[in-house]
Amino acid sequence: MKADRKLIQDLTPEIENTSITWYITFIILFGIFATGVYGLYQQIDKGHIVTGMRDNVVWGFYIVNFIFFMGLSYSGALISGVLHLFNTGWRKPIIRIAELITIISLIIGPFFIFFCIGRLDRLYYLFLYPRIQSPITWDVIAIMTDLVGCFLYLYLSFIEDFAILRDYPDLKVAPWKKKLYKTLSLGFTGTEKQMKILNNARTVMAAMVIAIAIIVYSVLAWIFGVTLQPGWHSTIFGPYFVIAAVFSGTGLLIILMWIFRKIYHLEAYITKRHFVNVGVLLTVIAAFYGYFTFSDYLTKWYGSIKMDSILIDKLFTDYYSLFIFANYIGILLPCIIIAFPRFRTIPNITIAAVIAVTALWVNRYIIVIPTLETPFLPIQDVRPDWITYSPTWVEWSLTLAGVSVFAMLFMLVSKIAPIISISEMQEQDENELLN
Amino acid sequence: MKKKVVFAILCLSLLPLSSFQLFSQEVTLITPYISLQYFKNTDDQRYVQTTLTYSSNRMELPLPGMEVTFFNGGDKKETLASIVTDNKGVARFELTKELSLKSNSDGMWVFSSEFKGNDSIEAATVEITVKDVRLELALAVVDTVKMITVKAFTDDNGSEKPVSGETVKIYVPRMFSLLPISELTLDDSGTATVEFPSDMPGDTVGKLAIIAKFEENATFGNVEKRENIAWGVPTDYSIPKSHRALWTKTAPKWMIYTLSVLLAGVWGHYLFAFISLIKINLDAKRKAKEEYRV
Amino acid sequence: MKEKVENESDGASRRNFLKKVGVGVGAISVAGIAGSTILKGNAANAKSGKKIKLLSPDGKLVEVDQDDIKPAGEIVADLKTEARAGLHNRKFSMVIDLARCKNARKCVEACQEGHLLPKDHEWLKLYLLQDDNLTSKYWFPRPCFHCDKPMCVSVCPVGATFKRSDGIVLVDNQRCIGCKFCMTGCPFSARVFNWKDPEVTVPEGHVYDPETNIPALEGTVGKCVFCADKLRIGELPRCVSACPMGVIYFGDILEDTVTNGNETVRFSKLISDRAGYRYREELGTLPSVFYLPPTQRMFPVESGLEDTDESIKGRYKNAGPR
Repeated sequence: MKADRKLIQDLTPEIENTSITWYITFIILFGIFATGVYGLYQQIDKGHIVTGMRDNVVWGFYIVNFIFFMGLSYSGALISGVLHLFNTGWRKPIIRIAELITIISLIIGPFFIFFCIGRLDRLYYLFLYPRIQSPITWDVIAIMTDLVGCFLYLYLSFIEDFAILRDYPDLKVAPWKKKLYKTLSLGFTGTEKQMKILNNARTVMAAMVIAIAIIVYSVLAWIFGVTLQPGWHSTIFGPYFVIAAVFSGTGLLIILMWIFRKIYHLEAYITKRHFVNVGVLLTVIAAFYGYFTFSDYLTKWYGSIKMDSILIDKLFTDYYSLFIFANYIGILLPCIIIAFPRFRTIPNITIAAVIAVTALWVNRYIIVIPTLETPFLPIQDVRPDWITYSPTWVEWSLTLAGVSVFAMLFMLVSKIAPIISISEMQEQDENELLN
Repeated sequence: MKKKVVFAILCLSLLPLSSFQLFSQEVTLITPYISLQYFKNTDDQRYVQTTLTYSSNRMELPLPGMEVTFFNGGDKKETLASIVTDNKGVARFELTKELSLKSNSDGMWVFSSEFKGNDSIEAATVEITVKDVRLELALAVVDTVKMITVKAFTDDNGSEKPVSGETVKIYVPRMFSLLPISELTLDDSGTATVEFPSDMPGDTVGKLAIIAKFEENATFGNVEKRENIAWGVPTDYSIPKSHRALWTKTAPKWMIYTLSVLLAGVWGHYLFAFISLIKINLDAKRKAKEEYRV
Repeated sequence: MKEKVENESDGASRRNFLKKVGVGVGAISVAGIAGSTILKGNAANAKSGKKIKLLSPDGKLVEVDQDDIKPAGEIVADLKTEARAGLHNRKFSMVIDLARCKNARKCVEACQEGHLLPKDHEWLKLYLLQDDNLTSKYWFPRPCFHCDKPMCVSVCPVGATFKRSDGIVLVDNQRCIGCKFCMTGCPFSARVFNWKDPEVTVPEGHVYDPETNIPALEGTVGKCVFCADKLRIGELPRCVSACPMGVIYFGDILEDTVTNGNETVRFSKLISDRAGYRYREELGTLPSVFYLPPTQRMFPVESGLEDTDESIKGRYKNAGPR
């Protein structure tokens, strides 16, 4: 398969050369990751007592991170899935980033569940003695299905690029990489027949990825929703979590667009138009997300169910600043920045996205922790760590390790495949020429 | 714990009870509680039983592994046996039919038991007198009403003498204890009657046992008569193995169906995508061959 | 206490036998059978007549039939199968008389001792509750409620926690993966997690059995077991026997009878006379534990704070209306 020479030269430098900055960044990230590994070793050696979790708050940072990372995986489903189905033209430069976010966060997310369970050595019991009634079993099935589906979808979108790289004689990469491209391209040459098969499969998988993503995140929400705990036992949780996930996924997409644009000098490909378009998308989703949040808390606050009132009280006292940040600033500020055209600069939109993603993490935190600190029977204990949750260094180190692995995986992938889809850009160019 | 028929507590020490310590180095002797009870069961087996306990922190605790000697007779004591208490502090001696028990002038048996004491526990003795009684329990349905009748007689130089004015308790034994049904007072003819409740649960076929008892009676000790009868309401409680619920081993059917349909749908599409990949590969191979030929 | 009712069912004696021979796990074989094989408890089996000499742990030489020898692993498996089935035609319930409770904590002590629980790991908890500032405080002992629609069992992904035919909910800590979903599922905070190695000294030769859940295992969940091991031999749970006030009644409600060790009453009559209720009936988990309201109480609430350690008193410092 042939592609425009300039396009390849613009989009492949990161595959051919590795800068010192890349190595330094990678080593720093690896150091953070190693700290996390040490934290995990401590946790396995001494037991979960080294975490801040205790008998009331049995789920802490780990579960928050789990649902957060799973939520990030939504960017792929939305940007590449939805935009593919609607054949939105401007999606093309960012489609690859979105798909990679999906896969990488889907791989990292479940690790936080592994950190959370007490007997990691018995993990295979989930397959040995599965109970269909348990939402965890639903989750295991759904996440595995989602992973397979997203891998397939990502691979389908990679084939053309692999073929282009395989047939590009001037590419200065190690022989193993060339061999890899040859194998992975499956001999694809871009004939009309092959293109038809490929496009069909991609359309089908785009639909599937959207469907399964909705299921995965609903199941995740039901882990909380099916219990009787105040604040969790809510019918709105399924769709609410789905919207929240799309929100964070979109936010992260903007952040990564900014980073890659800077590092790989992709200013010509990822333009302000992309930032504005994804930004507007973020605003629309923020509106939905804010609406769900408001609706959930309003009904709890208006009604006089005692446990709900106690929970709301707690949110507006002990968790006041977090609550305000997560549910007011985190939703309204991105909306305001993006809603007014004169604020719509690339840095502003990126800042809005950072606020949105951070606020969403905090939102997950105040969904999980305050509820567990408000059991039906009051906590009567003299041990402070049994009454209120505060994460220890082990949880922080593993959380940061998760973020660093996310970055490391992105860095590694960018060494093997172009971060912007060459084939899609080519198609776009051809279309533009035709027009 | 058991209500005592007779308490015989020898108090040599005036130290507060709470400071007692078993096996302590100081010479603080433990003052034991000793009790002696007489039992006659439904098969006319008789036995005497001694319980040896002490008090610590207002809790009554058993004294196990202590040797207790049983005697028969008032003035002229005859040793029956020496028995070591079990872990509940209980020593029991069966009064077999072969044993010729001596009566006192009132025609009553006198039993006593003695604990000799040791370095840390004081000695203690206790004595009771018992008159032999015959307790009868008759169950009959009169006009669909279940009636329990008890009768009691003593042996008066060969002739039967009805026991009057004494209390007989009726019980139904349950898993952990005896459920009291009623307390009857025997009339002049030594008889009492009571209706059995119609709503008493029995086993799977309604069987249950009814027990009539002289309980800790000052004259007769503990005497019981027991009958098994299907007067109860049958109870059969079991969760069928086929039961499907959220909490059972097998899931409700709709869950299995829903999951299967969802999974089949999604994985079916995956299969389609996978087959597409194979098709591309095959097509590419075929084309490569053609080109090679050309 | 009344005379002990004979209740040695076949299952119980067989089980005891199993447990006794379980002690023999370490028995040294004289006749050359591997040390990991021990007695099989099935008396119904046809005997081969071939006798084998074994050295019991207390140093006695015993002669057993060859057919009674069974690998040690199978004993645990047998105990587990029985523990999962439950006692036939029984349905256990507890009635707690709040009018009599004065935080004597004997129930908690007996439970901790009986199940070799570490100090920070209470299965039975005593709360000082107050529903509203217009209502009064009361002591509230909280065992596991052994619900008939147990949320904890529903959400368990591996079937480590299960409900038996006699109503008891148990945890098999050799199956538990420690996901703690059951702990968030339980609205009554009845479950506790082993955050670290519990460091209990288990009696030599002890065989694990979900009915006692001894020993506790790091990274798994534990909770009140209604003393299922005691029930199997026809004895009352430890907390029931230990309570000096007779607060806790226990029994088989198919027999419509509950007893606190001193007094035996009909369950239906007790509940109807004293207006028995279940805690948070509205949640619909159908608990097996009933409460009698603290009417005409025997002790003032404050008396529960006398004679208690500072660390215990501290727990109730902030007890108030909610």
